[in-house]
Amino acid sequence: MEAKRKKQGIFLYYILQYKWKYLFGLITLFIVDMANLYIPQYTGEITDGLQNHTMTMDDIWILIVKIFLVGATLALGRFLWRYFIFGSSRGIEYRLRNDMFGHLEKLSSRYFNEHKTGDLMAHFTNDLNAIRMTVGPAIITAFDAIIMTIMVLAKMVLHIDLQLTLLAVIPLLAIAVGCYYFGKEIEKRYTAKQEAFSSLSDQVQESLTGIRVIKAFVQEHQELAAFARSNKQNMDKNLHVVKLHAMFIPLLDGIIGISTLITLLYGGYLAITGGISLGQFIAFNQYLGMLVWPMIACGDCINNFSQGRASARRVQAIFDEKPEIFDEGNLAPVTTLDGSISFQDLTFAYPGSQYPALHHISIEVAPGETLAILGRTGSGKTTFANLLLRLYNTEPGQLSLSGTEIRRIPLKVLRENIAYVPQDNFLFSSTLEENIAFGVKGCPSEAVVDAAKAACIHDNIVDFPDGYQTMVGERGVTLSGGQKQRSSIARALMKDAPLLILDDSLSAVDTDTEEQILTNLKENRAGKTTIIIAHRISTIQNADHILVLEDGQMAEYGTHDELMARQGIYHDMYEKQQLEKQLEAI
Amino acid sequence: MSSNQVNQITEDRVESQFRGSALRRLLTYVKPFWHYMAVSLLLVLLLTGLELYRPILVGDAIDDYISGYQYPYLELPSVDTEASTNASADTNTNSDSSIEASNTDTTSTNAAKGTFSYEGDSIRKLSAKESEALRADFAQAMESGNERVSQMLSSGRYSQMVLYGNHYYLFRHLDVAAQQLLQAWDETAFTLEESNGTLLITPAEDALPSGSGSWSDTGNASTILTGTLLNRTDLKQLRASDWTGIWHTAILYVFILVFNIVFNIIQTWLLQLTGQKVIYNIREELFTHIQCLSLRYFDLNPVGRLVTRATNDVEALNEMYSGILVRLFRNVVKIIGLAVVMLTMNVRLALFSFVLLPVVAVLTVVFRKISRATYRVARTRLTNLNTFLSENISGMKVIQIFAREKEKYQEFDGKNHKLFKAFYKEMMVFAIFRPLIYLLSIVALVIVIATGSWQVLQGVISIGTLYVFLQYINSFFEPIQELAEQFSTLQSSIASAEKIFTILDEEPMIQEAEHPLRPAAIKGQIEFQHVWFAYDNKEYVLRDVSFVIEPGQKVAFVGATGAGKSSILNLIGRYYDIQKGKILIDGIDIKQYSLEALRAAIGQVQQDVFLFTGDIKSNIRLKNDTITDGQVREAAEHVNAAHFIEKLPGGYDEPVTERGSTLSAGQRQLLSFARTLAYDPAILVMDEATANIDTETELLIEEALKTLMNGRTTIMVAHRLSTIQHADNIIVMHKGKIRESGTHQELLAQDGIYKKLYELQLK
Repeated sequence: MEAKRKKQGIFLYYILQYKWKYLFGLITLFIVDMANLYIPQYTGEITDGLQNHTMTMDDIWILIVKIFLVGATLALGRFLWRYFIFGSSRGIEYRLRNDMFGHLEKLSSRYFNEHKTGDLMAHFTNDLNAIRMTVGPAIITAFDAIIMTIMVLAKMVLHIDLQLTLLAVIPLLAIAVGCYYFGKEIEKRYTAKQEAFSSLSDQVQESLTGIRVIKAFVQEHQELAAFARSNKQNMDKNLHVVKLHAMFIPLLDGIIGISTLITLLYGGYLAITGGISLGQFIAFNQYLGMLVWPMIACGDCINNFSQGRASARRVQAIFDEKPEIFDEGNLAPVTTLDGSISFQDLTFAYPGSQYPALHHISIEVAPGETLAILGRTGSGKTTFANLLLRLYNTEPGQLSLSGTEIRRIPLKVLRENIAYVPQDNFLFSSTLEENIAFGVKGCPSEAVVDAAKAACIHDNIVDFPDGYQTMVGERGVTLSGGQKQRSSIARALMKDAPLLILDDSLSAVDTDTEEQILTNLKENRAGKTTIIIAHRISTIQNADHILVLEDGQMAEYGTHDELMARQGIYHDMYEKQQLEKQLEAI
Repeated sequence: MSSNQVNQITEDRVESQFRGSALRRLLTYVKPFWHYMAVSLLLVLLLTGLELYRPILVGDAIDDYISGYQYPYLELPSVDTEASTNASADTNTNSDSSIEASNTDTTSTNAAKGTFSYEGDSIRKLSAKESEALRADFAQAMESGNERVSQMLSSGRYSQMVLYGNHYYLFRHLDVAAQQLLQAWDETAFTLEESNGTLLITPAEDALPSGSGSWSDTGNASTILTGTLLNRTDLKQLRASDWTGIWHTAILYVFILVFNIVFNIIQTWLLQLTGQKVIYNIREELFTHIQCLSLRYFDLNPVGRLVTRATNDVEALNEMYSGILVRLFRNVVKIIGLAVVMLTMNVRLALFSFVLLPVVAVLTVVFRKISRATYRVARTRLTNLNTFLSENISGMKVIQIFAREKEKYQEFDGKNHKLFKAFYKEMMVFAIFRPLIYLLSIVALVIVIATGSWQVLQGVISIGTLYVFLQYINSFFEPIQELAEQFSTLQSSIASAEKIFTILDEEPMIQEAEHPLRPAAIKGQIEFQHVWFAYDNKEYVLRDVSFVIEPGQKVAFVGATGAGKSSILNLIGRYYDIQKGKILIDGIDIKQYSLEALRAAIGQVQQDVFLFTGDIKSNIRLKNDTITDGQVREAAEHVNAAHFIEKLPGGYDEPVTERGSTLSAGQRQLLSFARTLAYDPAILVMDEATANIDTETELLIEEALKTLMNGRTTIMVAHRLSTIQHADNIIVMHKGKIRESGTHQELLAQDGIYKKLYELQLK
C-alpha cells in the first residue's frame, strides 16, 4: 500500500479507489454540458418561429415541453455529478485522514519531538482541505470548463456562423491570457499580503507576550506606534491586492461587453441581411454568456491545482517518514515478561546528539525487586524509562528483559508487560473511568475502583458530581497536578504488569498521601518489579537498589544504608530534604 | 481555567444568536467614511441601472432594427434618382395626408433623411412610430366608413418586406390595406404559395376592401400579391436604416460599457478602501484597548486567543465591510429593479414570471435552516476531531507506551466517519438545493416562454420584449440564491464581531485617579501599610504586610515558594490593586500617581527575561528613541554586558531571534540589566533569576547588580545568599506574612526560618 501510494502519488492512488464514481460523475457532467446547449437552441427556435410566422402555439408547446425535459435532465445531472464526485472527494478526505493518523501512530517519539503538534495539525486541516478541493471542485471545474468551451464553440460554429464566432471569441481569449498573467501578479501581491499579515500577527503576539516588560518600561505608546506601522503595512498590502481585484472584475465585464458589441454589430449585420436568423442571433448571445464562466474558471483551476500539489507533497512527506521502532525479524517467542531487567554496560546517545545520555550502565534487577533512581534534572533518569519502553533503540546486547534482548521482544508484548506513569501525566479528554482503564480492554468497573483506591484518588473521584463518569479536560473538571498524577498512577496499576515504572510520579502529592500510596504499592506489587524515579528520598529509601545518576553516569549505587554510609551525594540530598521538611512544619 | 470555560460558553452563545446590536455597533465604524459609502452606494444604484439597461438596449435593437423589416416603405413615385437631394420638399408635398397628420412631431428633414432610390423609385422606410401611426389610422378609417378608406387607399403606395422560412421577400406598390394585411400576417387571412424566388399571396375573401391590392404602373390593382426574394445586395440597400440603427445602438452600448467599467472600478475601490480603513481603525482600537488591560486579564486569558482576536477575527470583518453589506444592498436593488422594469414592460408577463417566487422563498428559508443545522453538526464534529487529533498527537507517547494504537485508531476512525457522514449530508443538501433552484428557474423560463409566446402571437408584446424577459428571468434567480448565502456570511462576521466587542467592553481593572499626579522626580521611599492582597479576591497571598523602605535602601525578601515575595514586587508598580491597606511611595498613595509616572520611576528586572525580536541595541533601549547609541553602550558597559555583546559577530546590531533563544540565560540576564540601567529608574525591583548560570557569568552578574543598585531604592526577591548579605534589611516571608526581619547577622542570631533557609542554601 505504501509503495503503491508512493508510486502513483496521493491523487491517483485515492482517486483510483473511487474510479467508478469518478467515471460516472464525469459522464454525467459531460451529458449535462451537452444538454445545456439545447436550451438556447430551443429558445432560439421559438423566437425564430414567432418571427418567421412559421410556428403556431402548438409547435411552441412541443418546444416548451422539450425545454422542460432538458431542464429536468440537467437538474438531475447536476445532482448526480455532485453526488458522485463531491461525495468521492469527501470519501478521499476521510480515507486519507485515517491513513495519516494510522501512519503517525507508527512513528517514534523522535518524530514527535522534532515536529510541533501545531505543524502536524496543519497537515490535517489546511493540506487535507487543499487536497479535497483538488479532487473535488477543481477536477469538476477543469473538466467542465474544457468540455463546455469546446461544445459551445462547436455549436456556435456549426449552428450559427464561423466568422461571427471567430470575431466574438477573440476578446474572450484575452480573458484566458489575462487570467494567467493576472494570476501571477495576484499571487505575488497575495504573498506580500500574507507576509504583512503574519508580521502583524507576530507583532501582536510579541507585544502581548511581552506585555509585562512593556508595562514595566512604560512602552505602551511606542508599542502602539510600532503596531500602527504593521497595521498600516497590512492595510497597504491588502489595498495593493484589492487594487488589482477592483480592476479585474470591471475589465472582465468590459471584455465580455466587447464580445457582445461585436455580436451586436456583425451578428446584427448578418441578421438583417439574412445571413443568420433572429433566433440564431439571440441564441448566439446566450452561448456567449455561457463561455464567460469557463474562461474565469481557468484561472481558479490553475491556482487550485498548484495548491493541491504542494499540499500533496507535504502529506507525502509524512508517509515517507519511516517508523524507527518496529518488530524487526528474528523475534523471540515470548508472551509475558517476568520483570527481571539487565543493563549490560549500556551507553546510549539520543539520535542526532553527540553526547551520550547514559554511560556504561550495568544493573541487574531480579523479578519482584524495587529499583529507585535519583538524580538532578538532566541526569538521565527519564532516558532510563524511555529505553525500557523501547521508545528508542539500544545497541544490541546492552539491555535485556526476562533474559531476552529487548529488540527481540515483540513490541506489543513489551509494552503490554510494562506499566508506566509518565512525568507529564497526560490524560485524555474522556471520563475518569476511561482514563484509568486506558491500558486494559473490557475491564470491570470494580477493577477501576480498586486501582483508584490503591492510587488514593478514589475519594476525590467520588466527590465529583459525576463520579467516575466525570469528564477530564477543558469541557469537564480541571484536575490539580496531584489529582492528575494519582489518576495516572491508577491507570498504570490497572495494567497489573510485571514491571511498573514511576517516573517522578509522586512529586505533586503531599507526604501523607505519598506514604499511603507507597504502602499500597508494596501490597499491590508484591512479587513484581517496580522502578521508581524520584527526587524525594522519602519516596525511595526502602528500595532494594538505589541508583544515583549524575550526568548519565552511575554515581552511586546500593541500598539506603549503604549510600548513607558513603557520605556522598545521596547523603547530602538526604540532609537537605530533612531541613526542608522542618521548614514546612513551621 | 474557570474563566476559560466561561469564555467558551460565551462563544457558543454568541454563535447561536443573531444580535442586531452588534450589527448596529459595527455600522458606527463606517461613520467617519460615510461619504465614501454614500458615493459607493450611489454608484451601485447607477451600475445596477446600467446592468438592467444593457439587455433592454439589445432588445430594442432587435425590435427596431433586426426585426425592422416589418416596417413598411413609403413609395415616393414622382421623384427622380437625381432629385433625391431635394426630396425634402417633394416628400412634403406628395406625402399622404394621414401620414403628414400623424407626423406633425416628426420634422420634415428627418423624414427626408431616410429617402433612397430603389429600382427607380424613391422610397423611405417608416420608423416604428410612423408604422404604428399608420396602423392606427387605417384601423380607425376602417371603422369610420368607406369614404375615408378609399381616400386612404388612393393616397399612398407602400412596399412591405416579409420574412418567410428564413427568406426575405419584398412586396411592392401596395396600397395601405394590402400593406397592413402583410404586416399583420394573420395566416387565416390568406393563402400563400412559394415558387422559385417569388412568394404569391392570395388574400381570403373580405380580407381586403374592394379595389384594394397591389398596383401596377398602369393603375390596375391586382388582388394577388407577389413578393420577390431579396438577395444580400438588395437587403443591404433596403435595410440601410436598420444598419444605421444598429450602429447607433452599438455606439450607445460602447458609452454604457465605458461608464460601467469606470464606475465599477471607482465603486469597488471606494468600498474596499472604506473596508480597509474601518478594519485598520477597529484593529487599532482593539490593540490599544488590550494593551491597557490589567495584568490580571493576561493571567486569565491565553495570549494566543487575544492575538486571534486582533488578527483573524478582525480580518473576518473585512469580508463584511467590503463585500457582504454592499452585495446585499446590490442584490436587493437588483431584485427590485428587475421587478420594476419587468412590471413596467408588461404587467401580465411580469406577474407570470413572479409566480414561482413564493416557492423559491420558502425553499430558500428551508434550505437555510437545514444547511445551518448540517453546517453546525459538521463544525462541531470537525472541532471534536481536531481536538482529539491534537490531543492524541501530543499524547502519542502514552498511546504507544500503553500499546493502544489499534484502539485509538478505531476511535479516530469512528470520529472521522461521523465527520464524513456530516460532510456528506452537507454535500447532499447543497447537491439537492442547487439543482432544485435551477429546476425552478427552468420552470419559470418555461412559464415566461409560454405566456410570452402566446402574447407575441396575439400581437400584445414584441419579440424584443420577450428577449428582455428571457434575459431577466435568468438573472432574477441569481440574486435570490446569493442573498441566502450572504446572510450566512454576515452571521459569521457578527459572531467574530461579538468576540471582539467582548474584549472592548472589558474594563481595565486598574483605573487611574481623575487628576493623576505626575511628580518631576520620585525619591524612592516605599511604605506598605497593613496590605492585604489576593489575586482572585479569595485566597490571600499577602496578609497584613507592613514595612517601610527609605530612599536608597536595599531590601531583600526571602522565603519559601508561595510565600508572597513576588506579589510584593507586582504591587509596587500597581499591576494589581490591593484589597485592604495602603501602599505609599514618597508618602503618597500609589493610586494617586499616573500609572505612567509611577512605572517610569520603577525599574523591573524580571525572573525570566523577555527579549523582543530585533537586535541587541533595540532590546536595551526598547522602542524609546531618546536613548542614544552612546547611552546604550554606556549602560551595557556598566553592567558588564558589553563584553559579550562586542564578541557577537554583529556587535550591538546582532539580530536577536524570537525570545532570544540564541543567547544564554546569563547573557539574557545581563541584557535585561542594561535595559533597566538605560532607563535610569529611582526604584529597582528585582526578581532574581534562579536559573543555572555558569560561575563566570555569575560573577559578572554580581558585579553588575552592584552597579545597578548604586543609589537606588532596591527591593529584591533574592535566592543567592551573596546578594542577600549586602542588603540593608532582610524580610522573611512565610505564608503571606512577615515572620522575621533584620540584617543577615541579626537574623542568623535569631535561629528562625532564615537560619534554616540559610543552611539549606549552604548545602
